[in-house]
Amino acid sequence: MPVNVALGHVSNAFLIAALVVYSLSVVAFAGDFAYGRPRRAAMARGQQAQDRAAALTAVGAPGRAAQAPAVPEAPAVPEPADEPAADSMPGFEVPALRAIREAGRWVLAAVALSLAAVTAHTAAVVTRGLAVHRAPWGNMYEFVTALTCVAAIFFLVVLIRYRAWTLGVFVMGAVVLTLGLAETLIYTAAGELVPALQSYWLDIHVTAMTLATGIFFVAAVLGFVYLWVDRYTRRVAAGRAAPGNGIVRRLPSIEQLDRLTYRTIVFGFPVWTFGVIAGAIWADQAWGRYWGWDPVETWAFITWVLYASFLHARATAGWRGRRAHYIQLLGFASLIFNILIVQTFIAGLHSYAGVG
Amino acid sequence: MPSPVLKALSSRVPLARALSSRALSSRAGRRTVILAAAVLTAALLAVALVATFAGGGSSGVTYLDRNDTAVLYASGHRPLAPEFSSTTLAGAPMRLSSYRGKVVVLNFWGSWCDPCRAEAPALAAVARHYQSAGVSFLGVDERDSQASAEAFIRNFGVTYPSVSDPSQVIALDFSAVVPLAGTPTTLVIDPSGRIAGAVFQSATYSELTAILTKVTGKGG
Amino acid sequence: MTDVRAPETDPFDPAAEPDAPPRPGAASPAGGGFGLADWLKWAWRQLTSMRIALVLLFLLALGSVPGSMLPQANNPSAVQQYFASHPALAPWLNHLGLFNVFAAPWFAAIYLLLFASLVGCVVPRTFRLAGSARTLPPRAPRHLARLPRSAEYATPLPPAEAVEVAAGVLAGHGFRLRRADSASPEPADAGTWVSAEKGYLREAGNLLFHLALLGVLVSVALGGLFGYKADRLLVQGTTFADTASALDEFHPGRLVTAADLGPFTITLNRFDASYIASGPQRGQPSAFDAQVSYTEQPGGPARTGHLAVNRPLSIDGAKVYLIGHGYAPQFTVTDARGQVVYNAPTPFIAGPSGNLLSEGVVKVPDAQPEQLGFTGVFVPTAVDIGGTLESVFPAADNPVVSLIAYAGNLGMDNGVPQSVYQLDTGGMRRLTATPQILQPGQSLKLPGGRGTITFTGYVPWVSLAITHDPGQLPALICGIAALGGLLLSFMIRRRRVFVRARADEGGTTVQVGGLARTDASGGFEAEFASLAAELRTACQQGRHPQPEGE
Repeated sequence: MPVNVALGHVSNAFLIAALVVYSLSVVAFAGDFAYGRPRRAAMARGQQAQDRAAALTAVGAPGRAAQAPAVPEAPAVPEPADEPAADSMPGFEVPALRAIREAGRWVLAAVALSLAAVTAHTAAVVTRGLAVHRAPWGNMYEFVTALTCVAAIFFLVVLIRYRAWTLGVFVMGAVVLTLGLAETLIYTAAGELVPALQSYWLDIHVTAMTLATGIFFVAAVLGFVYLWVDRYTRRVAAGRAAPGNGIVRRLPSIEQLDRLTYRTIVFGFPVWTFGVIAGAIWADQAWGRYWGWDPVETWAFITWVLYASFLHARATAGWRGRRAHYIQLLGFASLIFNILIVQTFIAGLHSYAGVG
Repeated sequence: MPSPVLKALSSRVPLARALSSRALSSRAGRRTVILAAAVLTAALLAVALVATFAGGGSSGVTYLDRNDTAVLYASGHRPLAPEFSSTTLAGAPMRLSSYRGKVVVLNFWGSWCDPCRAEAPALAAVARHYQSAGVSFLGVDERDSQASAEAFIRNFGVTYPSVSDPSQVIALDFSAVVPLAGTPTTLVIDPSGRIAGAVFQSATYSELTAILTKVTGKGG
Repeated sequence: MTDVRAPETDPFDPAAEPDAPPRPGAASPAGGGFGLADWLKWAWRQLTSMRIALVLLFLLALGSVPGSMLPQANNPSAVQQYFASHPALAPWLNHLGLFNVFAAPWFAAIYLLLFASLVGCVVPRTFRLAGSARTLPPRAPRHLARLPRSAEYATPLPPAEAVEVAAGVLAGHGFRLRRADSASPEPADAGTWVSAEKGYLREAGNLLFHLALLGVLVSVALGGLFGYKADRLLVQGTTFADTASALDEFHPGRLVTAADLGPFTITLNRFDASYIASGPQRGQPSAFDAQVSYTEQPGGPARTGHLAVNRPLSIDGAKVYLIGHGYAPQFTVTDARGQVVYNAPTPFIAGPSGNLLSEGVVKVPDAQPEQLGFTGVFVPTAVDIGGTLESVFPAADNPVVSLIAYAGNLGMDNGVPQSVYQLDTGGMRRLTATPQILQPGQSLKLPGGRGTITFTGYVPWVSLAITHDPGQLPALICGIAALGGLLLSFMIRRRRVFVRARADEGGTTVQVGGLARTDASGGFEAEFASLAAELRTACQQGRHPQPEGE
């Protein structure tokens, strides 16, 4: 079937629109950082103590309405009171829409813009797929477009669920950067695939890899934020920096960042594992062996081992915290290396990047 | 002091109870587990090593040279040569069973095969020598075109007939009974249709005559 | 996935398990008198520690890197090229085994040690898990408010009834229960309690994952011992029988001999390839299709089938794959005596310039009086560009062959095998000064009356890969089991919920507390909140849910 060039142009238009709106959302998130309501980043599920404290004052009608915005004197990790009151039921957090509204105008604008951008981004990916009559991740450009879309959607869910407004500028900023680079450096016009790749196992394998990479993308950005906050905390402890630095105060705590990153990777690791298995099934169909230490296969294996090391490190005394995040970032680096260098330049059965 | 596991086995206490977490948390219990794991690993390793290095070694086979490529089969251990019917290069039909009652030297060759070209003079000499003894020679031409095969026969003055086997099905049949590795291969079939000797590489005059002496009982 | 080994600090339950024996031993042997047994024990404990596992994982990842950057043993021509371009460095790399990393002993040592470490940890934990199948949750701690999650509510029911109602609710959710018994030494005013625990499958999933990885390793070893890979180039219209002598390449596993090859034959009846004719991807192949017929045994019934990329044919336990294709131009050669000495399709191999411009060699060793040889270039769609002939499209729209003729000694008679795709012109003289171009049907007359060569046409060829891997299905099953175990261990959390009820002025106060062990995927807060709400509702309604089996 011939390529629908008109739809291809539509896809590009959607992508440019998404890029513009993403940039605006990054500006909005940054604005919240600078000018928004002063508060410690509230991750609702970790704020049970504050919820309970608020609930105690209003029997039968727990809520934060009377207390918003709560001044962040209480630490982020909840400490249950020693003597509970007569009736202390675990409070249910404020519904999402209200929380967004209460977080301020900047956050409202940022979330709205992000939603619009993600919609346009998804439309770009979908129309690209319709244009070429196959799953739209058959070459590197399409792959990067799709994975950033996955990362953005995943992060939006995390953002709203955990009320992590202050992380928005980092993750969305990374998405903008990556998309921009993809658009300028590795753009490929929509085209047919070589027959070696026309298989439904392609869809399954590369879909899984795209999803996992998008999730690991978010984990990597969070990892960088973690390292930054960790470095600041250590400098404060060493007396070389003053506590109460404006930017870092607004970021989630070390423990929250660590937990969030961990949960993200826990989500992505099985998807990556499944992607490797699906890739082995596809390789067996196309090339006659399910594992041949092809360079791309080898680097996918290396990535898997590194993320497995991260999960192990978190259970090893002395390796939790900063070192574990180094490992996680190393894993993501190996993933990027696989996509950018190995698939393009190192010859192997996988060379289908279609670049140049 | 014997581990709780061993004590349990001797006193017929249920094994599950003996293997409970309490039993295993003790030092003796852990030692048992370590020992079991070590023995299992050693056993697996031993099996793997034996499987890898244990050679063949069937009875009734004599090797005539150091490379194990010239072989004599003692009577009673001779594999039956599979029957085939084909056409010779000249176009006449030919069956292997028509050679029953005679000793046949079956030579797998190809005009493209360099070792076959190297052994061709030796084969021709043996053929001439044993013609009077009633030994027949038959060639099986593998993977060749008619023109190339005829040119080879003209070039080397091959006097015995050859059947054409372009898709190597005859070689496939024979590889089920002897380890036919490729071309050239020369098989010596006794009058009852059983393979008595084989050379699995380029045949030399001495190897062939040694085998034929044994099989026909006549000297070389 | 987080705790295959009990970590050095176990934060699971601050309310201790009084029945559990103390954990013995420090990390290194204490005091004097180290015997060999002590050193071995110490070494084993080190090997099975998380730290060493981490180091081994790093080494595994690091060791794989050269295997992806340097040419490996499955691509011998690339290795030779590397040796040629790095004459000083290459032998050193070879000594280190870096040209065959994944079969090198040091790489095997890393993953074998890793799996020994894994086995040494997983086996005792499996026994422990089996043993804990019947143990009860611990007693409820005194101060439930100190637990990470807690709630409190009042109920008009007497304490015993309130606890029973709570036990009923918890049992309905699948928790394993432990009730207060009269033997427990508690002061009378502490009230009565029930403990509940759930999520034992998490450890099972964890162990399943690690054992399944071991299964994958064993499956790969199975394939390496009992499997084989083979290649064969098949010209359209010809048949090949699956025997060792018929295969262009044969890589058997350690325990495989030529006798294990399946006795099938395959005929290539027809091969079609279509290419994209226009647009930016002009020249890229869009479809391949090979029509074959095959018999599973000599003399058996002939079956037909289609072979395409991604669609292998399964014959007699082996799988046949279509890997590539090319052209085999047909030549007829007559020698000086007028005899036809060569008449066959000759496979030519595509070169790097693209569009299936192919090179090949014709050897005529039985031409009289002198052996003849030809090197040729086959151009499927030939266009003269600036004096050289180039192929602009891979389909054979304008096929042309260019030949250079030689006469002399091909070097075939000394018995040393040569490649059929290369001509050794050391013992030959060149007969034609310039390459001669032939179109289909045209002949080239050789100087000196040495004969003629005619380019009669062309047929396609396909290259087939024949593989057999008995470890393939077990590896897949183990991979899926590993994924299942992973999901189980991530999604299920081991959690405990305690309920205490004590009499108060105005009724009974019920305290609920709960904690989860390494809540990987989150969500225990929500579960606890909804559980607490359900317990409160059940108590306030004075409802007795049917008591589950004791």
